[in-house]
Amino acid sequence: MSAALELHGVVKCYGQLRALDGLDLEIPRGSIFGLVGSNGAGKTTAMAVATGLLQTGGGTINLLGDGVFRATKHAGRVTLLPQDSRFPPHARVAEVLRFYARLQGVPAAAIDPNINDLLDRVHLQDRRQSAVRTLSHGMCRRLAIAQAFLGAPELVLLDEPLNGLDPREAASVRELIRQCRGRQAIVISSHHLADIEAVCDHVAFIEKGKRVRQDTLAKITHRSHRITYLFSGGLFPSAQLTAALPEVNWEQTENSATATFPDKYTPAALNAIVLRIVLEAGVGVLEIRRGSDLEREYLRSI
Amino acid sequence: MNRPSRTIAIIARNELIDSVRSRRVVAMVILYLLGAMAATALFISFLHTVETKLMTANGGRDSRPTGTTMAALWQSDSFRNTVTHVLGDRQQAQSLLAVPPLALFYGWLALTFTPVLVILLSAPRVAEEVSTGSVRYVMFRAARSHWCVGKFIGQALQVLAALLLSAISAWVVGMCCLTGFQPVATAGAMLLFALKAWIYALPFLGLALGVSQVCTSPNLALVFGFVSLVALSILSSISRWLAGPGWRRMWTVVSALTPGGHKGDLWWNDSGHLLPAVAILLALAAGYSWAGYARFSRRDL
Repeated sequence: MSAALELHGVVKCYGQLRALDGLDLEIPRGSIFGLVGSNGAGKTTAMAVATGLLQTGGGTINLLGDGVFRATKHAGRVTLLPQDSRFPPHARVAEVLRFYARLQGVPAAAIDPNINDLLDRVHLQDRRQSAVRTLSHGMCRRLAIAQAFLGAPELVLLDEPLNGLDPREAASVRELIRQCRGRQAIVISSHHLADIEAVCDHVAFIEKGKRVRQDTLAKITHRSHRITYLFSGGLFPSAQLTAALPEVNWEQTENSATATFPDKYTPAALNAIVLRIVLEAGVGVLEIRRGSDLEREYLRSI
Repeated sequence: MNRPSRTIAIIARNELIDSVRSRRVVAMVILYLLGAMAATALFISFLHTVETKLMTANGGRDSRPTGTTMAALWQSDSFRNTVTHVLGDRQQAQSLLAVPPLALFYGWLALTFTPVLVILLSAPRVAEEVSTGSVRYVMFRAARSHWCVGKFIGQALQVLAALLLSAISAWVVGMCCLTGFQPVATAGAMLLFALKAWIYALPFLGLALGVSQVCTSPNLALVFGFVSLVALSILSSISRWLAGPGWRRMWTVVSALTPGGHKGDLWWNDSGHLLPAVAILLALAAGYSWAGYARFSRRDL
C-alpha cells in the first residue's frame, strides 16, 4: 500500500525565499507523524502544499496514492488544521461543523452523531449554539481541531494543534490523536518536542525547507538500544556492570549513566540485570529513561 | 464524496444562511426596500407637482388626486403619438405604453441602481474569506471552482430576493398613493422588471466576485469593484456613441461585451429582443467571473 503522503523534491518559493527547497517526506498510513523544525523551517508550507492551498514550484506530491491534491478526488479523505485561520464570525459552532461535514460528504445520518462526539471530546458541547465570535481563542482552537476530525479522513494534518490550549485540553487532544493510531495517518507540526514525543511514532526534522532526518521515534531516540539511569548515593558499580554485560557501552556523568546495548538485549531484560547490580551496590536509582530526549536528538541533527 | 451539483448547492445555501446570520441581508433589504419605497414616493410627489402645475396652467384647481392626470394622459392618442415620435420605433413605443407608468419607473430604478448595490454588497465577499483565512477550512473539502459557483449562486439568489422585495414595496407605495392605479397590471409588469433587473445585475455580480477573487483585502475589492463598474459604464457609453459602419463596427463588438450594451433590449417584451439579451448577459456574467477565477484557481490561499 502506498504512503498516506509522499513529497519528493518539493519546492515552494515566496519571491526570493525558498520556503521548501526540495523537501522529501514519506508519511506511512496509520502513523502519527511529527514534523519538527525551527520557525520558518517549512512545516506549515509543507502542509499547505499537500492540501493544495499553496501552489508548488516543482517536485512531486502523492496524496493517498492518488497524485497531487484534487478536491474532486481527495475531499473528505484529507483534512487540515490551519494555523492562523478564523472561522466565519457569525456562524454557530454546530452549524459551521455541519457545513464542513456536508461539504466533505459525510452521510446525513452520521453528521449529528459525529458532531456531538467531537464537541464532547473538545469540551464545546455547551457552546454548540454559540456564535463563533463569542468564543475565546482557545475555544476557537478546539473548534478548529474538531473540524479536522470530521468524518473519517485517511490523513489529518494538524499545524501546531496544542498551541493556545490549557493543560487539560491539551491532554484531551493528545488522547484524541492517540486513539487514531493505526486507523488514520496524523501529521503534527509542533515546536513542543515533548508533545511530539508523547504521541508520535514517526518523526521528521525539517530545516530551511529540507528534510534533515526522518525515522521512527524509537530509532531517532534510540529507545530500543539506550537506557539512562539517574542515581544518588554511593558509587555507580561500573566495573561489575561491565563484567556482567560486556557488550554494553556505558557513558557516565556525575549522577547518571547511559547504557547503549545491542539487539541481543531487550530493554526489560537489560534493565533487570542492571537494577539488580546497582541496588546490590547500594546505589539509589531515582529515574530510568528509555532512549534519549527528542530535543537532544533534534539539536544534534540540525 | 459529493457530486459537484451537491457541493455547489451546499455552498450556495451556506452563503444565504451566512448573509442572514451576519445581517448583510438586512443591509441589503434596507437598501433595496427603503430605496424603492423612497424613490417611488419621490416619483409620486414629482408626479403630483407636475399635475398640479398642469392644472394651474390650464386654469383649473388642484383638487384631483395624484395620478388622475397621468392616467388620462397615458391613454391619450396625442401623448402616445408623441412617445412614438420620440422613440422613433412604433413597436417599442407600444410595448412601453402597455406598461403602467409606475412599473416603468420601477424598471428604470432597478436597472439603474441594482448594479451599484451589487458591487457594494458582493465585491468584498471572496476577498473577505481569503483575508480571514476561513476559506482554508473549505478549500480541502470543495473544488475552488465549485466554491466560486456556489458563492455566485448564493449571492444571485439574494439579489433576486431583494429585487422582488423592492418591487413589492414600490407596488405598495403606488397602491396607497396613486389614483387610477392598476394593481394587477402593475404587479405583473413590476415582477417582470424585477426579473429583468436581476438578469442585468448578474454580469455585475460576476464582475464583483471576479474582482473579489483577485484582491487580497475586502476594502481593496470594493474599491476595484467600483472602479471596474465605472470603467465598464464609460466603455459602454463610449462604444455605443462611436459605433458605426466600417472599422467603427469594432465599437459595436465592444458595446456587446458590456452589460450596458444590452440594457436597451430589456425594455422590450418580445422574445426576439429579450432572449438574445438574456443569453449574452448570462455569458458576460460567466465571463467576468471566470476572468477572476483564472487567477483565483492558481492563487496561494
